[in-house]
Amino acid sequence: MQSNAAMEYDYSIVKLFMWTTVIFGFVGMLIGVLIAAQLAYPELNYLLGEYGTFSRLRPLHTNVVVYGFTLSAVWASFYYSAQRVLKVSIAESKFLMILTKVHFYLYFVAAAALVVTLLMGITASKEYAQMEWPLDIVIVLIWVIWGVAMFGLIGIRREKSLYISMWYYIACFLGVAMLYLFNNMAVPTYFFSGGLGSIMHSVSMYAGTNDAMVQWWWGHNAVAFVFTVPIIAMIYYFLPKESGQAVYSYKLSLLSFWGLMCVYLWAGGHHLLWSTVPDWVQTMASIFSVILILPSWGSAINMLLTMKGEWNQLTENPLIKLMVLASTFYMLSTLEGPIQAVKSVNAIAHFTDWIPGHVHDGVLGWVGFMAFAAVMHMAPRVFKREIYSKSLLDAQFWVQTIGIVLYFASMWIAGITQGMMWRAVDEYGNLMYSFIDTVSVLHPYYVIRTLGGLLYFVGMVMFAYNFYKTATSGRKLETEPQFKSPMA
Amino acid sequence: MNLAEIQGYVYLVMTIVMVGVLYSYIVYLYRSEKKGEKDYEKYGNIALDDNIDSKPIEDMPEPKNEK
Amino acid sequence: MFHWLEKNPFLFAVVVFLVIAFAGIVTILPNFAQSAQPIKGLKPYTVLELAGKEVYKKDNCLSCHSQLIRPFKSETDRYGQYSLSGEYAYDRPFLWGSKRTGPDLHRVGNYRTTDWHENHMWDPKSVVPDSIMPAYKHHFTNIADIETAYAEAVVVKNVFNTPYGDEIAEGKDAYNKHFDATILPEAKKITANMKKADIKAMVEAGNIPEIVALIAYMNRLK
Repeated sequence: MQSNAAMEYDYSIVKLFMWTTVIFGFVGMLIGVLIAAQLAYPELNYLLGEYGTFSRLRPLHTNVVVYGFTLSAVWASFYYSAQRVLKVSIAESKFLMILTKVHFYLYFVAAAALVVTLLMGITASKEYAQMEWPLDIVIVLIWVIWGVAMFGLIGIRREKSLYISMWYYIACFLGVAMLYLFNNMAVPTYFFSGGLGSIMHSVSMYAGTNDAMVQWWWGHNAVAFVFTVPIIAMIYYFLPKESGQAVYSYKLSLLSFWGLMCVYLWAGGHHLLWSTVPDWVQTMASIFSVILILPSWGSAINMLLTMKGEWNQLTENPLIKLMVLASTFYMLSTLEGPIQAVKSVNAIAHFTDWIPGHVHDGVLGWVGFMAFAAVMHMAPRVFKREIYSKSLLDAQFWVQTIGIVLYFASMWIAGITQGMMWRAVDEYGNLMYSFIDTVSVLHPYYVIRTLGGLLYFVGMVMFAYNFYKTATSGRKLETEPQFKSPMA
Repeated sequence: MNLAEIQGYVYLVMTIVMVGVLYSYIVYLYRSEKKGEKDYEKYGNIALDDNIDSKPIEDMPEPKNEK
Repeated sequence: MFHWLEKNPFLFAVVVFLVIAFAGIVTILPNFAQSAQPIKGLKPYTVLELAGKEVYKKDNCLSCHSQLIRPFKSETDRYGQYSLSGEYAYDRPFLWGSKRTGPDLHRVGNYRTTDWHENHMWDPKSVVPDSIMPAYKHHFTNIADIETAYAEAVVVKNVFNTPYGDEIAEGKDAYNKHFDATILPEAKKITANMKKADIKAMVEAGNIPEIVALIAYMNRLK
């Protein structure tokens, strides 16, 4: 059966997730640009009545890009690369064929329900965990299905050793499962009050400071296990495959993996510095955040060194460009994060625009670029067509890079300006500025940020068009390309 | 000794154990390769040679047939 | 020695799980019971205040406003006494927020009045000319979901032992009784300080708009 000539990898599920990556990316980033503009021009809050204010749309933006765009890209990449590194096709098991489809459609329904409920203001109010309890249950179900599909594929594999990407996918699965369950523990009020009020409402099992600790244990580690771990899994597969170079040091990748696992979970408390959580938790979070630089840079340097001796590809292949810049942004944001986690820096940075600035270096530069590169690498192999336009991809790269630079530069300045103004005192020790002074001063930076976001969104539109054209009218390919993705 | 103190000691011991395990893993990785028992770098090729009919780097003990 | 780890996906998963769970066990569990203790004299939220908290959550005020005063002079000068853990004992969920696009609100009840909030929610620029906050005019027309807030009070009383009196009990009858005896009079006390006639009329008719509940919650934050 090893030489079954008719056997092929099955990409039907990959295609579905690739389309949702593009759709959710478009929607999520469009909302992002709108809410960025609302801060600069508040009149834009009234476009959709009650449903169009910054406050309603902000969780929609974060949820659509995190759970729509990013998770779609992760799952597309997972179903694509897991088959390949395990050397087994989903089509070999009818059960898995059906299960993966259930995974997708259930996910799509849940995502749609999430959008509707958030617009209606039905929310549990915990950041990145806003879904109310009925949706939580559906999400747990989706996660279990993914786990079954993952371990099912592993169970029928031909390659005995699990490639490093698989390690990261497994960690993503376990980490999110554990954290999500604990953070979303809540009591639905309808059933415990004799049938009173809304059936959608629930009340958190934790109160006050405890709730904050559990929430940021999740909040920070959602960043770890959705924005970091599976994205590393992606780059460890796609960068070597696209460049034809094996990972620089496989041993280093194993070490960085365990380093990341040991350290990452400790750092969540850095979202709560100077708050009412115990001091030792804060200090520990600070220290571990700094230690976190080591495994993060271990992975990032490993990726960059994978290109050793082949740097010429950087000028020839826009996909390599995207992935190398993604690694670079990964290094930048994993250095920036620990700096912000130092208590004295945090005293200025916390609550300011420097924090969204930091998040966006990571998500626009690292997550976004990696998702674009992964989808574009898969497209020619999945659709058996050449990438529609290389020059469009190149243009996208530059437009988005400029967008990111405008974004984080303006937010750095805005954040530090505001943080310093809040604490500025005159010679008698009185506060120098009223709060509104520290808001008005940010206007130019909010405008620049909007412009940066808009450029990134324009790049997203170019990408969506390029993807659509590749899928429908790219030149047909006879054989599957081995390394470099063919592009016109 | 109160509960917090016990927790402190457990934490300390666990951390030392985990650091010890992590470092011995590093030593294990490099030593087993030096002694020629293992070749980790060959696993990097799993990603490069990944067609469905490619020969696996390491076969499963017994071939699994499709259902 | 570590060979099994790389070859057995199941054991591998177990080890990963143990490693990542360790941090949570150490940092979160030890202080759990202690952090949940209320400070002396802390009263649980009234049902109207809870309904206001739901409005606060629904319109996601916490995306721009924090409820956490840090122990710096610049913050205590601006907002008042720094926040204490025990003050949050009845906050489910916590509403600290993570971004101050607008000012902190943890003690807003000390320096803003019902009248100020009424003007501010209707048109923020009328009281703060440079404000970038949107107006929340729909708070003046939408009816607050008091029943759900009451259900929440019942649950936190029964499940989490929040010290409510006997008037908080399961079932529709208990709710109706509490509504007439306590919730509506509390709302009327707030509308007495408001100027919009239609809001007063709505409350007289037994419908409490979101703005009244929200103001009850804002005034409670001290």
